[in-house]
Amino acid sequence: MYRYDEFDHAFVKARVAQFSDQVARRLSGELTEDQFKPLRLQNGLYLQLHAYMLRVAIPYGVLSARQLRRLAHIARTWDRGFGHFTTRQNIQFNWTRLVDAPAILAALAEVEMHAIQTSGNCIRNVTTDPFAGVAADEIEDPRVWAEVLRQWSTIHPEFSFLPRKFKVALTGAAEDRAAILFHDIGIRLVKGRGADAGTTGFAIYVGGGQGRTPYVAQEIKAFLPKARLLSYLEAIMRVYNLHGRRDNLYKARIKILVNALGIEEFRRQVEDEWARIDAPSIDLPGAEHDRIARYFAPLPLKPRSAASTAVSARRRSDAAFDGWVRNNVTGHRVPGYAVVTISLKAPGMIPGDATDAQMDAVAGLAERYGHDEIRVTYTQNLVLANVARDDLPAVYDGLTAAGLATGNAELITDIIACPGLDYCNLANARSIPIAQDISRRFADPARAEAIGPLRLNISGCINACGHHHAGNIGILGVDKKGTEHYQITLGGSPRDDAEVGAILGPSFPAEAVADAIEKIVDVYLAARRDKTETFLAAYRRIGADPFKAALYGNDASHRRAARELAEAGA
Amino acid sequence: MPSIVTANTLASGEVVYLASDGRWVRAITDAAIAATKADAAMLDAVAARAVDAREVTAVYAMDVTVVDGRPAPISVREKIRAALGPTV
Repeated sequence: MYRYDEFDHAFVKARVAQFSDQVARRLSGELTEDQFKPLRLQNGLYLQLHAYMLRVAIPYGVLSARQLRRLAHIARTWDRGFGHFTTRQNIQFNWTRLVDAPAILAALAEVEMHAIQTSGNCIRNVTTDPFAGVAADEIEDPRVWAEVLRQWSTIHPEFSFLPRKFKVALTGAAEDRAAILFHDIGIRLVKGRGADAGTTGFAIYVGGGQGRTPYVAQEIKAFLPKARLLSYLEAIMRVYNLHGRRDNLYKARIKILVNALGIEEFRRQVEDEWARIDAPSIDLPGAEHDRIARYFAPLPLKPRSAASTAVSARRRSDAAFDGWVRNNVTGHRVPGYAVVTISLKAPGMIPGDATDAQMDAVAGLAERYGHDEIRVTYTQNLVLANVARDDLPAVYDGLTAAGLATGNAELITDIIACPGLDYCNLANARSIPIAQDISRRFADPARAEAIGPLRLNISGCINACGHHHAGNIGILGVDKKGTEHYQITLGGSPRDDAEVGAILGPSFPAEAVADAIEKIVDVYLAARRDKTETFLAAYRRIGADPFKAALYGNDASHRRAARELAEAGA
Repeated sequence: MPSIVTANTLASGEVVYLASDGRWVRAITDAAIAATKADAAMLDAVAARAVDAREVTAVYAMDVTVVDGRPAPISVREKIRAALGPTV
């Protein structure tokens, strides 16, 4: 993984000193809150419902064991003993104090971490495939370019005060595990065709996003030579920075501009800007690319037997282990190794939360069995990317001891949920209790597995931090005359077949949501052709009507419900 | 509608409420109730001085119901804040 050079160290250390001084000046009264607020936000410090929340950057979701131990230390020392992993592959501490922020940032800097650009109208943490570098279906390791983009976007003078926040994701694999089509810019490493055959480059997508106006990104460039990435992105950013709306917060994201202009006109403007741009001064020199790429050189793993006797024997004797292997263990590019997803979604627990002890436990397993590396997924889980198959029983036992051995990756209980109204100043409704209700309802592993792959996402407000638009089942918390209600959407997908879910009907009170989800699942189970037809595939085949009928009754009441929905403007 | 004044402490971010003696307290039941516009203006003035003194930040007035002479939050949001922690 990437290690800071002298410049990185000096920059982060200077930033800690700068912010420490700003905190001192705020506490002494030299700075007003209006003057201080943008400064603290630029350092990831929000004031939430109950306390200050510090959002720490985890570049493209990659951590060393030492870094994860430091996050555990921060949780223990300056928070309440836990952290919350987010859908940007970052971590949030919900109970920090302003007076402790300098010490926390100093502790982070010691392990090459910071909280810069985790807030504000700038380019946020670049996210990528949590299986990067080890996936069997990968064209090239996207972490190299994620690091290039991190360096390019960090305090970029032109792009530190954009019309709105800006999110970039990239993948190097055949299967999109980074939801790139729901990003302002999505990047996919692709093999060239025709004149470009034999080379790899990037397909670039633009204008995706969730929030109150969800869009799937559109392709702006089918094939971009790798060496030209930075100048092309710079051209996109310049067009957005110039024409993105600053008069209306709700229309300020690039998705609004792209859809207002149309992709053809937006592409034309980007191409014009790209033709004018001083590309040689922006594009990355080959030597610098190669220097960064060396940090991500594949581990020297010796191929081993693909079949592990220890694993086979344990699978025969231990059903829970067998289920965990089926759902949470993925093939590795090197025979005899595996990619392990560590679920932070035990039934009844808070999605994405990990205690200090759990973080320490995972760090220990990474040191012992995972070549000292942990990944954070945008679905709020952790990953050990390089585990010898023979070590899977030991890893499982270690996770079991830490309460982290739930075998439910990508099943109905692997729920994405934002912090919601329990913590967030923007939320309209709670997300976490809804997630807990649903995960308890489907806690039986056999039942969850029988249902099959199903992405269920929950957001506590229309800002959609819980990615509800992209859920096969999405749940959105709304305020209905002072009470928490929940709108259900079906048919969303965050993958290559990305789609925004459609609202099913009028919203439900909190206590009725788990029942509603159960009815939806029952309709699916009754309608599916066979076990291989996923929830999403079945929904796309049969449409929304059977689900509406199950939730809202006969045709007359269904029509009434739809009318109420229309009247509510929901 | 009766109202009270709430804020977060500047140094720690804790939820607090303005009491009748000018102190910032953690229990919403100890908050001073403004029954009239004049009461509310007086509480606002006290709160503004506390902001200037860097005691608190993010000050705002909130409507309450009065139960047995004590203020109680109305909205879900304010009920969660008044509980001083999440519901989970």
